[in-house]
Amino acid sequence: MKTMQTTVSDPVGFHLRAAGRIVKVAKQFESEVTVRFNGRVANAKSIMGLASLAADHGSLVELEIDGPDEQAAAVALVRLIEVELAEPEAV
Amino acid sequence: MKILKGIAASPGFAVGPAHRVAKAVLKPGRRTIPAEGVEAEVERFRAAVARARDQIKKLAERVERDLGAPDSAILDSHLLILEDELTWDRTIERIREQRLNAESAFQRSVADISRTFADLQDSYYQERILDLRDVEERVLRILLGCEEEAIVLPPGGSVVVATNLTPSDTAAMGSCDIRGFLLAEGSRTSHVSILARSLGLPAVVGIGSELAGLPDGASVAVDGSAGEVRVDPDPETLERYRELDREQVDVYRKMLHLRDLPAETPDGRRVAMMSNIELPVEIDTALANGAEGVGLLRTEYIYFQHRDIPNEQEQVEAYTDILHRMNGRPVLFRTLDVGGDKVKKYLGARGEFNPFLGWRGIRFLLANRPLLKAQLRAMYRAAAEGPSRIMFPMITGLEELREARAVCRECCAELADEGLDHDPDIEVGIMLETPSAALVADLLARECDFFSFGTNDLIQYTLAMDRLNSRVAYLYQPLHPAVLRAMKAAVDAAHAAGIWCGICGEMASETRFAEVLLALGFDEISLHAAQLPKVKQVIRWTTTAEAAALLDRLLAGDTSTANERLLAEYIADRKRRREDEGGRG
Repeated sequence: MKTMQTTVSDPVGFHLRAAGRIVKVAKQFESEVTVRFNGRVANAKSIMGLASLAADHGSLVELEIDGPDEQAAAVALVRLIEVELAEPEAV
Repeated sequence: MKILKGIAASPGFAVGPAHRVAKAVLKPGRRTIPAEGVEAEVERFRAAVARARDQIKKLAERVERDLGAPDSAILDSHLLILEDELTWDRTIERIREQRLNAESAFQRSVADISRTFADLQDSYYQERILDLRDVEERVLRILLGCEEEAIVLPPGGSVVVATNLTPSDTAAMGSCDIRGFLLAEGSRTSHVSILARSLGLPAVVGIGSELAGLPDGASVAVDGSAGEVRVDPDPETLERYRELDREQVDVYRKMLHLRDLPAETPDGRRVAMMSNIELPVEIDTALANGAEGVGLLRTEYIYFQHRDIPNEQEQVEAYTDILHRMNGRPVLFRTLDVGGDKVKKYLGARGEFNPFLGWRGIRFLLANRPLLKAQLRAMYRAAAEGPSRIMFPMITGLEELREARAVCRECCAELADEGLDHDPDIEVGIMLETPSAALVADLLARECDFFSFGTNDLIQYTLAMDRLNSRVAYLYQPLHPAVLRAMKAAVDAAHAAGIWCGICGEMASETRFAEVLLALGFDEISLHAAQLPKVKQVIRWTTTAEAAALLDRLLAGDTSTANERLLAEYIADRKRRREDEGGRG
C-alpha cells in the first residue's frame, strides 16, 4: 500500500469535470484508490465521491493506493492531480 | 395583494396565471423481492440505466442544437454519475442484500449522496445536487414506466412557477409560449435565468419558501427588473403591468422600421450599434433589432453552461457557431471575466475578503496560463471563420496588457507550428473599467487596437462604492463629474492614438444617456438588443452640435445631482420639441 500527499492544481478544484478526469484515470488501474481531504474520504473511481470532497485549488489531499499496480497508479494520479488538471483536457 | 421578492434574474414585465411545474413527486413503493427474483430485478435496473444513458446522449444533442454549444461536460458527468459506485454498485448491493426493489434501492443510494452534498459549505458543490437529482429522476421514471410525464408543459400565456428546474426541464421548456419564470431557488447564473434572458422573458428567482404558498392558477404580475412578484394584483396594478408589457411590445413595433437604417446623426456622424450577447440563442433577437455585430460576447456563460471548463476544441466550436450565425458581422470576444462575485458562482473557487479588488479578470487569467491559452487559441482559431476581436477585462496598466499580448503571440506561433487554421491579425483591445486604465489611457492606447468601456465597474471603482451594498448604492452616479472626466479623457486618448473606442456597459443601454455617449465621441455602442432601436432613434434625431452643447454643460457641472437635473430638463425639453415636430409633420 502506498500513501502520498498531493495538491490540487486545477484552478477551481474538484469540480465535476476534474472529478470525471480523475475517475477515468483511476479506473485504468486495478488498485483501490482512496482520497482523503478535510476529514472526508472518497473512492477515486467515484465522481460523486470526489466532488463531495469539495477540494478547492491548492488543497492538500492524501492518496492511499493499494493493489498490484499501485506504483503506476500513483505516478499517473499524482501527475494528473498536481500538473495535468491545470491544463485543459487534450482535444 | 401580496408582494414576493427575489433575485432580479431577467428584466421585463409579465402578467398571467401561475402555472406550477410541480413534478409529480415520484413515490416508488418499497417492495421486497423474492429470493429467486433478485437477479431479474438487478437486470431491470441495468436495463433502466442503459436507457437513461441513451436519453442523456440524445438530450445533449438537442441542447447543443438549441443552445448552439457543445455541452459534453454535463453529459459526461451525468453519464459518470450513472455508473458511479455510489449509485450503481450500492443499488445493486441493496437489491441483492436487502432484496429491495430497484426503485427504492436506487433512491436510497441517491439519498445517501445528497446528504453528503447538503453538508458542504460551498454553494457550488451544493448545487451539484441538481445534477444528481436530474439523473435520479430520469432513472426512476424509466423504472416506473412514466417517462412521458417527465414534465407537464405549461399552457400558453402562463408564468412558470417551480422550486427549481433541472437542465432537462429547462431545455424542454424553451420552445413553449410562456410569459416568465418564478423560482424558489436559483441564482442569476442558473440555467433558467440564462434561458429567460435569452428569450427576453422576465424571471425572478431565489424567492424562497414563500413561493410554495402561491396557488396554482393564481394571477401574478411579474417585474423582472425589480425582482418583484405581485400575487392577486388589484385591477389597477394588473392594468399597469399590462400597459408596461404592451409598451415594450409597442416600442418594439414602432422601432422595427429602423432596423436596417444606420445610427447616423442628421449631420452625418455614424455610430456602430452592436449587441451584448451571452448565448448564441440571443443572436436572432440581436439581428432582428438591427445589431451590426456583437460588441461584447461574455464567454463566461459558455463556461457556465458547461458547469465546468470547456476544452479548446469545445470553445472553437462554440465561437465558430456564433461567428457563423453572425454571418460576416464582427464579434468581440471578451476573455473569461471571473472574479469578484463570479469566481465562486461559476467555478467554485475560494471566496475572498474583498473580491472586487481581488483575484479577477486579467489577474485570474494570467495566473491560470493554461486556461488563458486554451481560450485564446480557440479565439484565434475561430477567427479564421469570421471577423473577430479579443478583449481583456480588468486591465490596470501596461504590464498586464503587454503580458497578455505576449500570450497572444505565443498562441499564434504555436498554432502556426501546428499548422492549424487561425487569423493572427485580429484586433486586440481592453475593457476600460478601472480608474487607473482611464488615467494612463494614452499609454495603453499606443499598445492596443481599441478600448471598450465597462461602465458598471468603472463607476464602482471610481467612486469607491460597492453596488451590492444597499447603504452606498446611492453613490452609483454615472453623471458624477469624476466619471464623466474619466470617460472623456480616455475616449480622447484613444482617438489621439488613432484607435477606436466603444462602450458596452449598462450606461449604453439607457436611452437617457444616448446624447452624452454620442458627444463623448464613442465610435461603437454595444447594448442589450431590446434597447438598441431606442438608442438608435435618439442618435438619428440629434445633431453633433446639440449633443456637444449638452456635454459641455455636463462637464461644467459640479455634482451628480446637478448633472442629473440638467439631463432631466434637457430630455423633457427634447421630448416637447419632438412632439412639436411630430405635430407639424
